[in-house]
Amino acid sequence: MALQDLILDLQKFWAGQGCYLAQSYDLEVGAGTMTPDTFFRVLGQRPWRVAYVQPSRRPTDGRYGENPNRVQKHFQYQVILKPSPGDIQDIYIRSLASLGIALADHDLRFDEDNWESPTIGAWGVGWQVLLDGLEITQFTYFQQCGGIDLAPVPVEITYGLERLEMFLEQKDDIYDLDWSADVTYRELRQREEREFSEYNFQAADVDTWRRMFQACRREAGRLIERNLLLPAYDMCLKCSHSFNLLDARGAISVTERVKMISEIRALVNQIAARFTAEKEA
Amino acid sequence: MEFLLEILTEELPSSHIRSARAQLEEKFRRELEGARIGIQSLRTLATPRRLIVVGDFAAGQEDREAVVTGPPKAIGVGPDGRFTQAAAGFARSHGVPESALEVVLTPKGEYLGFKRTFRGTPTERILEDAIPRILGSLTFPKMMRWGASPFRFSRPLHRLLCLFDGRSLNVRFESLTASDRTVGHRILSPGEIRVSGFAEYQARLADHQVIVDPQERKSSIQAQIAEKLAPLEAQVYPDPGLLEELTDNVEHPLVILGSFPEEFLSLPIEVLATAMRKHQKFFSVVRDRKQLAHFLGVADACEDAKGLIREGNERVLRARLVDARFFWDQDRKVPLAKRAAGLRDVVFQEKLGSYEDKAKRVKKITGYLCDKLEGGGRPKKEAVEAAGLCKADLLTEMVKEFPDLQGRMGGLYARQEGYPAALSEAIYEHYQPSGLDDDSPPSLSGRILSLADKLDSIVGVVGVGIEASGSSDPFGLRRNAHGVCKIILDGKLRFSFSLLLDRVLAVYGDRLTVARDAVKRYVLEFFTGRLRFILERRGFRYDLVAAALGPGIDKVLDVLLRVQALDALKSSPQFEPFILMAKRVNNILRDQPPGKVQPDFLEEREERELASTFSIVERNARAMIARGDFEHAQNIIFRLQPVLNAFFDRVLVMAEDKKLRQSRIGLLQAIQKLLAEMADYSQVVVEGDAAAKSGPAR
Repeated sequence: MALQDLILDLQKFWAGQGCYLAQSYDLEVGAGTMTPDTFFRVLGQRPWRVAYVQPSRRPTDGRYGENPNRVQKHFQYQVILKPSPGDIQDIYIRSLASLGIALADHDLRFDEDNWESPTIGAWGVGWQVLLDGLEITQFTYFQQCGGIDLAPVPVEITYGLERLEMFLEQKDDIYDLDWSADVTYRELRQREEREFSEYNFQAADVDTWRRMFQACRREAGRLIERNLLLPAYDMCLKCSHSFNLLDARGAISVTERVKMISEIRALVNQIAARFTAEKEA
Repeated sequence: MEFLLEILTEELPSSHIRSARAQLEEKFRRELEGARIGIQSLRTLATPRRLIVVGDFAAGQEDREAVVTGPPKAIGVGPDGRFTQAAAGFARSHGVPESALEVVLTPKGEYLGFKRTFRGTPTERILEDAIPRILGSLTFPKMMRWGASPFRFSRPLHRLLCLFDGRSLNVRFESLTASDRTVGHRILSPGEIRVSGFAEYQARLADHQVIVDPQERKSSIQAQIAEKLAPLEAQVYPDPGLLEELTDNVEHPLVILGSFPEEFLSLPIEVLATAMRKHQKFFSVVRDRKQLAHFLGVADACEDAKGLIREGNERVLRARLVDARFFWDQDRKVPLAKRAAGLRDVVFQEKLGSYEDKAKRVKKITGYLCDKLEGGGRPKKEAVEAAGLCKADLLTEMVKEFPDLQGRMGGLYARQEGYPAALSEAIYEHYQPSGLDDDSPPSLSGRILSLADKLDSIVGVVGVGIEASGSSDPFGLRRNAHGVCKIILDGKLRFSFSLLLDRVLAVYGDRLTVARDAVKRYVLEFFTGRLRFILERRGFRYDLVAAALGPGIDKVLDVLLRVQALDALKSSPQFEPFILMAKRVNNILRDQPPGKVQPDFLEEREERELASTFSIVERNARAMIARGDFEHAQNIIFRLQPVLNAFFDRVLVMAEDKKLRQSRIGLLQAIQKLLAEMADYSQVVVEGDAAAKSGPAR
């Protein structure tokens, strides 16, 4: 089974659970959680079910295309169900079975792991799901987002697609994965990993990205004042990516790190507060 | 009668399971005792998805006879001996005939009353009432909500099974209604099971691949490990914490023996152990204390017939080790000394500056300590150089990936670079001990560097106004203070703590925001409290600890030596009379202005005797005190007791003659001063205390 078959199967499975199949968001994000289809939709009362593939960029994880397990961009399969169904663990287990995994031959574990993203003022309680010791999913009951307590509580299921595919293909090297019958992950991604690693770690211009961070931060503030909350949130995502790049360049001290994260969080929290107030009004 | 409760949940963290079991046992006991229900037995069991309470309780409360009192006899019984209107009204209001009334004697006098039997409530009712209250009151370090309910628990709740004497109890909690059913293993046997008692519950769940008794799961893991390792003639590297955690993580343990390529054995054992034990929760396998290329994992499964679980785990570990080797190779390309320059950009604490600033301070403190420690053989050059390098590993990839290895990686890299052992050991050990149960650094250079680093942190943190309070200790004040005490006590390091604090304060210069004398006072008080805690924890009597702390903590080690001396001598026949005598000296001198011994005024034989004995005792005892030999010193000081006794018997301290009185007081004050260097004897509790207090003071 190739990676695209895995995606197709998950799409089919979660559509069957009543999820709307969103398309990937078109900005750089560190995780599927950060895209508007999750961020704005977990706020407020309205029930919501969505699933989508989201490319996720983590510049510091780059290894020049040489490490068999780490990449600066990977693909997440993100599922949000709000409110969390009572039998969500069973549903999730069925999703694995639907991929043809004979769970009775394996060791499936829900291992304590509480997730938090200080940048978007979000945290949750849950597990990393381990399959024979391999982390294939982050499973989280979202408690807070944008600094706001979530009620009803959404559950977020994030599959690491490459991890899961490595398990399914029993391969040790991410680049050996098949994306389709005749295209490999290496073909698609290795050059990108090499060039972006060099960019993230060496070539990215620190001043440019610092200015980018500041410009997007100001822009976000301005847009919030005009109540253009979705564009304002995009600007926060750009801040977050600028921050990640500067971090990969080793340009951020520990105090600066705390300060920059709290600056983004303050903006995101304002957006969440206004968005929620609007809905309730 | 048998009680069984199972709370079926989603997978609970191991620490929450432990806490919930303790809470459940305590709360059930309290509820039942409060309701006067006899408890034959009560215990808790658990799996990652189940919290279980099993008990044997009485069927109900005992019927109880109690007296209901009414009006006083004087009002209720008329002069004719018959009941009055008041008595009749009282009987009527309680629905009993007047004939049931009788005279009862109460502490307030004679009253009219009657005996009534209260029917006991059946345990069933009590439990039905108590269980929702108990479940609602369980707390966890981190709680969560789920679905649309505001209720909070450790993880979502799914079912309640609740039986008393074979019947299900009528219990509702949140959206759940208790029943006599549960389910088996999530993957292996998920069907529903109906039971009527604990034995059946345990057996049926075992059929469904769930072992409910943690003790049984633990023994099973140990037995399987032994069986797997026997052919290899190897042993498991003991890790009791990991064993507990894994026992809590599975419903049906299956031990998996896996291996990794031998080439990774070239990685430091510290790295292998962290990758295996911390990250993958594997046990290490050793033979003759040497690491083998094997590991033991615990799966939640029945069998691994196809070897898929083993292969999967091997693949994950291999990936981790590939990463670790990459870091190990990369990190060694940059020498520590060069890397240390980058510490300028790493903030230690906002007001206290960068790690480079810290390293500079720690170098000075380390040098000072090397000069001041009593005894020889101090590796000053190496320790000071180590201080400059010890934080450099914070910037290595390995420590970023495995933060637990901080310090140890620095030591390993230093060794690789060919630095002398005293230097690399100092770096390796300088975070030790991590708590009171961790070992002190084995090397002297490690002890010195660890002391210097910790004291720099303590003084700095206090100096910018951060204090430890209650359970909150975000900057590790308590942990660091325990580390300092432990190193001093274990290493028998003798130096003036007070002068060291002065030195650390001087090194900080004007960086601190709190006044120096206030910082010093706080740190000394804080350490006094910590030493009290540590010594009592070691089993010394609290009063002896208080006595040993009396002379202060300038030499931290001496507090231990003093309490050891008191402890060693507490059963000797001289001890109690001596303590009583010391207390008597204190009592007499209370509120006395300073006197002065005048040899010319030593009139009586007993006081001349006391003065001459004291001058010998003082000289000898002080020599012993200076060496820290408090047991010897104490034995010498015991000699004062008989002469003091004779003195008190024959000599009137509070003499009419002022000069005489002042001279005698002066002599006793000199004795008191010497005693105060040994201990605060007034803290010591002895049996003769009561007698001594009532005795006359002359």
